[in-house]
Amino acid sequence: MVLNRKIAYINLSTREVVQKPIPREMRTLYLGGRGINMYLLYNHIQPRTDPLSPENVLMIGTGLLCGIPCLGSGRCDIAAKSPLTSAVGDSNIGGFFAPELRLAGYDHLVISGKAEKPVYLWISDDEITVKNASHLWGQDTFETQTMIRKDHDDEDIKSIVIGIAGENLVRFANVRTGMKNSAGRTGMGAVMGSKNLKAIAVRGTLSIEYAHPDELLDYCKEMNDMIIGTRWARAQSKWGTMIIYSNTNTTGLIRTKNFQLNRFAEGEDLEPENIDRYSFGTSGCYGCVVHCRHRYTVKDENGETIFAEGPEYTSLGAFGTMVNCPKMETVLRANHLVNKYGIDTLETGGLIAWAMELYEKGILTDEQTDGLKLEWGNEDVVYELIRKMATREGFGNVLADGFKPAIAKIGKGSDYYAIQVKGMSNLHSDERPTPSFALGIATSTRGADHLRSRPAIDLYGLPKELLEEIYEGPVSPDSTSYEGKPRMIWWQERLYAVTDAIGTCKFQTVFCAVHAPQWNEYSKLIQLATGMELPKTQLMDVGERIYTLERLFNLREGFTRKDDAISERYFKEPTPIGFPNVKGKTIDRKQFEKMLDEYYTLHNWDSNGVPTKEALERLGLSKEPSHMI
Amino acid sequence: MMERILFIDPEKCTGCRLCETACSLRNEKVLNPSLSRIHVAKWETAGLYIPVVCVQCESPICQTVCPVRAVSRDEKTGAVVIDADVCVGCRLCALYCPFAGAQIDSKKGKILKCDLCSGEPVCAKFCDPKALQYVKATTANMMKQRAAAQRFSELMKKMLLTP
Amino acid sequence: MSEVRCLNCLKRFQVPQNAETATCPHCNTKFRISWPALGQAKVRGLA
Repeated sequence: MVLNRKIAYINLSTREVVQKPIPREMRTLYLGGRGINMYLLYNHIQPRTDPLSPENVLMIGTGLLCGIPCLGSGRCDIAAKSPLTSAVGDSNIGGFFAPELRLAGYDHLVISGKAEKPVYLWISDDEITVKNASHLWGQDTFETQTMIRKDHDDEDIKSIVIGIAGENLVRFANVRTGMKNSAGRTGMGAVMGSKNLKAIAVRGTLSIEYAHPDELLDYCKEMNDMIIGTRWARAQSKWGTMIIYSNTNTTGLIRTKNFQLNRFAEGEDLEPENIDRYSFGTSGCYGCVVHCRHRYTVKDENGETIFAEGPEYTSLGAFGTMVNCPKMETVLRANHLVNKYGIDTLETGGLIAWAMELYEKGILTDEQTDGLKLEWGNEDVVYELIRKMATREGFGNVLADGFKPAIAKIGKGSDYYAIQVKGMSNLHSDERPTPSFALGIATSTRGADHLRSRPAIDLYGLPKELLEEIYEGPVSPDSTSYEGKPRMIWWQERLYAVTDAIGTCKFQTVFCAVHAPQWNEYSKLIQLATGMELPKTQLMDVGERIYTLERLFNLREGFTRKDDAISERYFKEPTPIGFPNVKGKTIDRKQFEKMLDEYYTLHNWDSNGVPTKEALERLGLSKEPSHMI
Repeated sequence: MMERILFIDPEKCTGCRLCETACSLRNEKVLNPSLSRIHVAKWETAGLYIPVVCVQCESPICQTVCPVRAVSRDEKTGAVVIDADVCVGCRLCALYCPFAGAQIDSKKGKILKCDLCSGEPVCAKFCDPKALQYVKATTANMMKQRAAAQRFSELMKKMLLTP
Repeated sequence: MSEVRCLNCLKRFQVPQNAETATCPHCNTKFRISWPALGQAKVRGLA
């Protein structure tokens, strides 16, 4: 039967494995993926749990539609309480792991406790075994996957693994699969490491049924045609997410030297076409016609030729603009290093850039940095710090717990220079000229984040009428305006939540492409694949339900309105350069607070951002935790 | 001589496996890549992806070795097809085919083999980077010739620029 | 001719092949142009 799918509860302390069917009601309310994960997060984790203790619970959730032949449907959501922020921990990973897990019979895994010694989960056609991973412990993310395949003599095994950063409980360690796919943010790799869980390996040859397979096949082709027909996706399929750089750097929307400049004038070599010197083609995730990552070779910092995949726009910032390193080669090497160690590219780059500014300002001295010269543009220091953070060596250990503990250790006003929200680093985007983006990172349920709600199309100067139609209300077409922006954030939050719940790629919905599949298309895909009738309004409520549950989790952990904030620098330091419409911009404090008020109202939350009784009743959340699964 | 062929260009393959998914969905009505007639062989740590599927031989080896004459050619599509009712599951075709075109279906005890979806192969339809194309033989030849010529012309350019 | 987006007023306009600079006909901003891929123009910054 189509929706008769399973969830498995694995207790690593007792090695007990319990399988249960996923109730139909969970699908109607939360769909799958991030949706069901957030329900599990709220229901299975006690408030104030130490995220690195055995009491934290790790959720692996495949999207409801994971596996269908369109829209990059191979995505998996990984959630737990975040060791980095102590808020919602949640990250999405592509590649090929999730479809394989579904083919092995499981849509969701709930992993609790802690194994005595390093282990990995082996899941093969309905069977789940806990296996010894002592030979894998200490291996990098590539080698771990290779060794698991060798162990079982099966090249088709897909694994999600942690690297040594996860083993060392670096609080922003990531979970990896393939050559570069990562569940990057919020430190899910550290949670795995804290459980002595090195990997989850799967191999599936069971079948997944659909309600209307023939119509689904045809509609999937339509969906693929729809996304690849957009200008954005065509550009992305050639240059990857790096294509964003051309616009944002030329305009002046990129953090440079941490936050001192908003354009990298020397960053010519970071323009995407410079990948041509190194790349021999692109590759893609499961079910994706955009294939946005490059396959490239480059000489690493020791002069050896390595093969790697990527890089993302994020890495252009992390190892390029924010640290003032102008060479594409630096980005290519550093990208491979962070993938190897299993450490988040964004957090790593953000912390290094912050440390460089502290060093410049004399707040950090050579004594504290192990004699490393944290000078702008010093690529050797970048490689060295990546390694030191992953291994918790010396100064790397100061940074390895993330911003908040590092600020506490360093003191001396280092707080001011940190570009973070709720303890998590912001992307290398400079939001001073774009109020909608600023509101987005302040209110994101997982800390500073450009994927929870970024209305990237705000930058396109689209016609007022089109924006009103999409966002179901008046929004200003001017990206520097405050008018109507909370509405954009609210709409995108719900869309991205549902995208993560069905398991498709955010780039294949209204993120950077305007005329991409969205609510009605999702509705039809769900109906053809599962038989469930969920029209647009109901789907939007699913998004609202998921996001509200995330908000409830954070409130329960003690977060308040004052944590929906951005760095003081946004208000105090005007953007020094850039095009006329972005130069000299700060975020206006009064207008920001007004946006926040409006945002809360749209959600039907009170002025402290607490969901009202009415809002909870409408969404069926009044009795949470309800322990349905 | 076949009108159209399933032309494979591995250099273009991005490893997305839409071909596998579409194939199993169309031919088995479920998602199950292990029942797909086409597979993408991957060498992940080298970034190498090669689609592997029956190449519909002119003189099919599977037909030669089949002891019960289950193999014939579909006049309309030109595809080499195996009659599942006649097939006894001896797997000699799977043993002998050098292209892994005939695969063992352990669930049904038969053989999984591409029949070009009765003339509209969904794998080619779904392949965006055009690693799989269902084209006339003359078109396939023309594409290969032009690709070869392009490489030659780039070499010529380099030679002309070198003193 | 190749189409680019003006990064000032965000409207699209045409640029002749291999041009080194181009002026947006909507807002008169002058840009430097580069040609990274065959036939496709890119705005590089203010001229």
